[in-house]
Amino acid sequence: MKTLTGVGSTPLSGVGTARWYRPEAGLTLPERPDPSAVDPDAELARFADARDAAREAIRDARDRAAERVGEEEAAVFEAHEQFLDDPELVGDIEAAVEDGTPAEHAVRDRFAAAIDQFEALDGPMAERADDLRDVRDRLLRVLLDVDSLVDVRDLPDGTVLLAERLTPSDTAELDPDAVAGIATVAGGRTAHAAIIARSLSIPAVVGVGESLRDIEDGTELLVDGEGGRVVADPDAETRAAAEGEATSAVTERVSTADGRPVEVAANVGSEAELGPASERGADGIGLFRTEFLFLDREAPPSEDEQYEAVTAALAAFPDDRVVVRTLDVGGDKRVPYLDLPDEANPFLGRRGIRLSLDEHCDLFETQLRALLRAAASDGDADGADDADDADGEGLAVMFPLVSQIEEVEAAVSAVESVAADLDAEGVDHAVPELGAMVETPAAVFLADRLADRLDFLSIGTNDLAQYVMAADRENDGVAAYHDPLHPAVLRAIDRTASAAEETDAWVGMCGEMAGDPAFTELLVGLGLDELSMSAVTVPAVKERVREVDSADARDLAERALACETRAEVRELLDG
Amino acid sequence: MERTVTVVPEAGLHARPASKLVQTANRFDADVSIGRADDGDDGLVRADSMLSVSGLNVAHGESVRIVAEGAEAADALDAVCDLLTSAVEEDGDGEAPP
Repeated sequence: MKTLTGVGSTPLSGVGTARWYRPEAGLTLPERPDPSAVDPDAELARFADARDAAREAIRDARDRAAERVGEEEAAVFEAHEQFLDDPELVGDIEAAVEDGTPAEHAVRDRFAAAIDQFEALDGPMAERADDLRDVRDRLLRVLLDVDSLVDVRDLPDGTVLLAERLTPSDTAELDPDAVAGIATVAGGRTAHAAIIARSLSIPAVVGVGESLRDIEDGTELLVDGEGGRVVADPDAETRAAAEGEATSAVTERVSTADGRPVEVAANVGSEAELGPASERGADGIGLFRTEFLFLDREAPPSEDEQYEAVTAALAAFPDDRVVVRTLDVGGDKRVPYLDLPDEANPFLGRRGIRLSLDEHCDLFETQLRALLRAAASDGDADGADDADDADGEGLAVMFPLVSQIEEVEAAVSAVESVAADLDAEGVDHAVPELGAMVETPAAVFLADRLADRLDFLSIGTNDLAQYVMAADRENDGVAAYHDPLHPAVLRAIDRTASAAEETDAWVGMCGEMAGDPAFTELLVGLGLDELSMSAVTVPAVKERVREVDSADARDLAERALACETRAEVRELLDG
Repeated sequence: MERTVTVVPEAGLHARPASKLVQTANRFDADVSIGRADDGDDGLVRADSMLSVSGLNVAHGESVRIVAEGAEAADALDAVCDLLTSAVEEDGDGEAPP
């Protein structure tokens, strides 16, 4: 057994068989010929052709990444295209070729200088050098007629991929089912490749250093992304501990020790996250963010595109509930084609449901049409007509940033009007469960009235803490204020949950607080029926729920609510 | 014509904002260059080059000078300055909290 340390990048563990990935292996350049033996015109044409081929490959990679990982992660490939067409790079390479340098040598030389320049800079630019390597290798592969991207897409099950560094292109092609882990010699946690690996839930340790090079193909390897280590030939105990972690998905629904059921669901922000959420044993989706369908594109998604995305989520969780949040843009989330005004205080401005009911009611209507149609599909790909099936399972829809009863009334009547339209058109549809996000103090004070009118409430603790404490969550200067353990925030959660309890509405939580097992007992005691979180934390929270006794939990909640300061609450939870 | 502005996007002129700037500079019939306000004419680089813009390594809050020449210089200058002074979404790690 031999342990190497690096930087944990995806906090998951995996065991598998080491396999080195050496994309640079085939990219050895032929000896540089004498300039007089080079035909500059032919070389210029080769360079132009190589750029065309690379451009096409980058666009393909972008589209696949958008589909598999998410629009946000796919954006890196737009930067790759800009490097490929960079006037400085292209101009210098063409000048070198005209002076008698073969295209591949000119590409390698100019990119080497650019990579050195980036690596000499501090901070995020050093990681941008990986993007330059990626573009360089695409060009060299075409120029040298080497195809090495293919084997990344088709790795045997249980592969632990080892590499000097991984590029975003390579990583976006990986199959999370086949790849048990990733370990790299170089690279950082915030590099694009690391971010993509995280989105795909592939265990990863990066920046292990040169010692990783001693690991040979075929070695049994444990990648412990939580501990930031790589263990070669792990002994039974180490393996068991890691495998226990890796297979700790709790697939069945859980109840407290005394039998009170608590739903533990996942927050999902792209289609690629559906698989990992289901594998970790989530009881459905408690927050399906629809923004990924709208960001980084030139025009809004069509009704059919949205319908497909929602039915894919329902299909991934056929027996569970999928809570879709309607478009939540504005504030810090900008969408170019929506032409949103600049505001002095965007977090207090036109965002969430406010936009959906006003200047973007057309987008809202399209989204509701897609959602009502998806509600009728109930996860069946054949779109069977079960529009009468309103059993509280399947699709649920919630509205973000509600602060007035009028908004809920307007949103519900928009749903009714869309239902009437679809009826008239003879299109299959059903009305899903409807709910509101509780993120504003206004929604907390009105929670009883909201719960009367709706099927559920879902507390977004990040925004709720921000608005209750009047503390910008992006501002480090007020980070101490921005903590859901402040008694004021706990009382807001309690008030919301108690209001829901008086009605038939269920109440959930989908902020980061829900995913911390240290808070599970408190949240159960506060009366939450559902907790929704990053898929990675689902098993730990489920296990914690099973240990909780609901009478003890209620007692803990009451003591927490009696605290006067955040420090007292913390002390109570630690003790 | 030219203008000096303070860079608003949190990510500075890296990642998405750099990418958007290059796209914008390319859209107009104008030669646009950019550099740190303190570096004078020697610090100016082509704004339509991802390599040059990224290489400036400009952070959030720094002052930059933009110079535009050509038929659409005024429009290009407006568009580029708009971009540099609005808080576009960051290149986060996909874990946008609800």
